[in-house]
Amino acid sequence: MSSPPTRRAAVTGIGVVAPNGTTTETFWKSCQDGIGVLDRVTREGCEHLPLRVAGEVRSFDPSSLVEERYLVQTDRFTHFAMAAADIALDDARLGAADIGDAPFSAGVVTAAGSGGGEFGQRELQRLWSQGSRFVGPYQSIAWFYAASTGQISIRRGLKGPCGVVAADEAGGLDALAHAARAVRRGTDVIVAGATEAPLAPYSVVCQLGYDELSTHDDPARAYRPFTSGACGFVPAEGGAVLVVEEESTARVRGASVRAYLAGHASTFTGASCWERTREGLAQAIRGALEESDCAPEEIDVVFADALGVPEADRAEALAIADALGAHGGRVPVTAPKTGFGRAYCAAPVLDVAAAVLAMERGMVPPTPNVFDICHDLDLVTARARPAELRTALVLSRGLMGSNSALVLRRGVADAS
Amino acid sequence: MSTQVTVEDLADLMKKAAGVTVAPQELEQRSASGFDAFGIDSLGLLGIVGELENVHGVPMPPDAERCKTPRQFLDLVNSTLMAGA
Repeated sequence: MSSPPTRRAAVTGIGVVAPNGTTTETFWKSCQDGIGVLDRVTREGCEHLPLRVAGEVRSFDPSSLVEERYLVQTDRFTHFAMAAADIALDDARLGAADIGDAPFSAGVVTAAGSGGGEFGQRELQRLWSQGSRFVGPYQSIAWFYAASTGQISIRRGLKGPCGVVAADEAGGLDALAHAARAVRRGTDVIVAGATEAPLAPYSVVCQLGYDELSTHDDPARAYRPFTSGACGFVPAEGGAVLVVEEESTARVRGASVRAYLAGHASTFTGASCWERTREGLAQAIRGALEESDCAPEEIDVVFADALGVPEADRAEALAIADALGAHGGRVPVTAPKTGFGRAYCAAPVLDVAAAVLAMERGMVPPTPNVFDICHDLDLVTARARPAELRTALVLSRGLMGSNSALVLRRGVADAS
Repeated sequence: MSTQVTVEDLADLMKKAAGVTVAPQELEQRSASGFDAFGIDSLGLLGIVGELENVHGVPMPPDAERCKTPRQFLDLVNSTLMAGA
């Protein structure tokens, strides 16, 4: 019996709604130019809280991108998700006509770490101030982690396999891996990614309990991983959605294959046990390399988790060295997120978007606000570095203990 | 306060509770169409019932949230309000 042809998971579309750009192109330009957009928190009701600096998505007008009923029925994190999904599907040139013929061949997978905090807070305030009769029924779905998957599926008519990954920040990479597996198993298209909206009063207060949160009030100094000035991480909102598509399906309809999701692995080492993430992250990297059939020396760039907590930064630097050997000290490492913040589950998905764009442009974007590295890493700082990039490694860790690694390979313009 | 819910009132409630905009005139003309044709799902109708109960201070019958069309809904709601007046 002949083995079935191998199905490969390709990235054919990228949609970004981030603090440093609400289109994929402006996001890349900001990353490449190392533009820092971290700034004082201005979201309503947050100004007086001890979190001083964050990455806010300021040039986003949901009413111009999302239909009124979704504005009323869903939270800001879902508005970001719907907008990013639209950009990604447009980018992949995958329209209603393509999907309408075979709605069960396209699904949705998202990850979320904080759900619909703003929507939830508003309804809970009604509960306590006016009573249960004043809580709107959409509260029952809008604040769930699963809301974005469901609403993208409904809005775009995607009836294939859908899922939600709730696995800490690293869940963003796990969602892409889930999408890749679904594609390998037989689904043609998965719209996959993560968006977050953690900059609302209730959500911010929840985050104040994290020792790792930076409450520094200088945007240029609040988030500086891998330096002696590391004082925690700065949160961000927004995120990214990718179109993950079976390679031959994409080629048949003439879409370009931007990259391949080649391999992934994840491990768990316990909440805030940063020293232990050395072993956990190294093991995730080895697993991702193995699934990708990729030697450590083939990795051309690493997008680091870059938490900004000295102990965690040390563990990550050591994990890269443990898993990649001597190559770990030579490979360019970057963390563009220091320019716009760490958007929880969406952070690694934004890194994957940046990694695909970096491979396409042959350019490693820099790590804004970071200089004087105190670890044995070739961290790209100050300005973008031109380089031939065929394979990228993206790393992510969560505050609750998950570690994930994803290997991306550059796409081939056209196999035919 | 009027004890009757008009087509205009219903259009306002549809916008407020579910974010669906329909002109009262069109709602009148298409009052026998299903709520789903206007983009109102079961949670949306539940929200409309809740708003009415809060405004009028009277409970609506359980069947209110099961009505299929605006016409059916208005008839049921208005007969309930009439009986309570």
